[in-house]
Amino acid sequence: MAGRRVALKAVDWVAFAERVPPNQRGMFNALKTRSDAIAAKLNSLPETPAAIDWSYYRSAVAKAGMVDEFEKKFKALQIPEPVDTQTSAITAQEAEANKSASAYIEGSKARITQYEKELDKFKNMIPFDQMTIEDLNDTFPETKLDKVKHPYWPHKPIADL
Amino acid sequence: MLSRLVFVSGRALKGSGPIGAGLVHASRSLHTSSQSQAPVPALPEKGGKVRHGIIPEELFQLLYPKTGVTGPYMLGTGLLLYMLSKEIYVVNHETFAAASIITVIIYSIKKFGPSVAAFADKLNEDKVAKAQEVKDLAMTSLAQAIEDEKKEQWRVEGRSMLFDAKRNNVAMLLETNYRERLHMVTNEVKRRLDYQIALQNLHRQMEQDHMVNWVEKSVISSITPQQEKESIAKCITDLKALAKTTQAKAAV
Repeated sequence: MAGRRVALKAVDWVAFAERVPPNQRGMFNALKTRSDAIAAKLNSLPETPAAIDWSYYRSAVAKAGMVDEFEKKFKALQIPEPVDTQTSAITAQEAEANKSASAYIEGSKARITQYEKELDKFKNMIPFDQMTIEDLNDTFPETKLDKVKHPYWPHKPIADL
Repeated sequence: MLSRLVFVSGRALKGSGPIGAGLVHASRSLHTSSQSQAPVPALPEKGGKVRHGIIPEELFQLLYPKTGVTGPYMLGTGLLLYMLSKEIYVVNHETFAAASIITVIIYSIKKFGPSVAAFADKLNEDKVAKAQEVKDLAMTSLAQAIEDEKKEQWRVEGRSMLFDAKRNNVAMLLETNYRERLHMVTNEVKRRLDYQIALQNLHRQMEQDHMVNWVEKSVISSITPQQEKESIAKCITDLKALAKTTQAKAAV
């Protein structure tokens, strides 16, 4: 009966913990405790069971052939390995996550370019004490007074002063 | 001096475009030359230089080559004396009133000028400072936002670790299950063999006990009353002999 040594990929929990955003920390902790419990259970079981002392039983059991029969059947026995149903689901989840992650990164990059554009506008602005009202209206369009809608001074509703 | 006024007013009008509903025609006539896109030169920090509060410096510079430093003063004095002596300017009540008013004005400007100027400058400074604050805040928040976005991207890169952990969990569960099965098989076989052995031992034990009991019973039943009496008498004589020997031993 061959023992099975499965290749477990080492998960660096410390690095993983760093990358978890604060709002998902609870889920991460739950995952970690679950994983640790499973690992502990695995380590508590020895890899191969204790060997059966056939010679002792052969001498002790009076019934002829019983021990031999047991031994033969025992050695011939193949224990089926449990079927893996979840890995494909996990791989599908991973593909899904990759897709949404790349979409998120795209959006994030777009946001970064927008922020950088605004930052450049602020950096390349002329100092305030050298601006005229025209320059101010060019740089900050929201300060432009609408002289068509409010033709008389102060060109904005009194409540906005 | 007048030229400067025209220059300033012309620039202001040109800059402000349509000022109001009624002044559209006046401003349009000033747009005579083609507009240039060159950036407007910076506004002057201070007004034109003047001497004695009124007379522009340009006059003195104009007259300096011909008449030197005292030229404009001589011109001024001469003009004043000419106007007084020829009575082009007549001295009357108004003169005194004007002199008093001008004295008061000059005194008040000299006394309160700087503080009023500082106050007005402070108003402007406050506006500029507020705008500057807004600008700084905006810049820092934008920089922070960029940093945060980059951090989030770095976080997203770690997503493979989650799936590795999940796969590990699944593998570990399977392995655990397999080992449990192994152990269960071994234990069951062992239990069956041990049962056989225990059964055998029990058999033998029962046979042994039974035999011993049977032997004892038969022996006891075979002892006749006659033999019993004889054996009791023999025991008594033996005991007496033993008592004698122990007494002898104790006496010695």
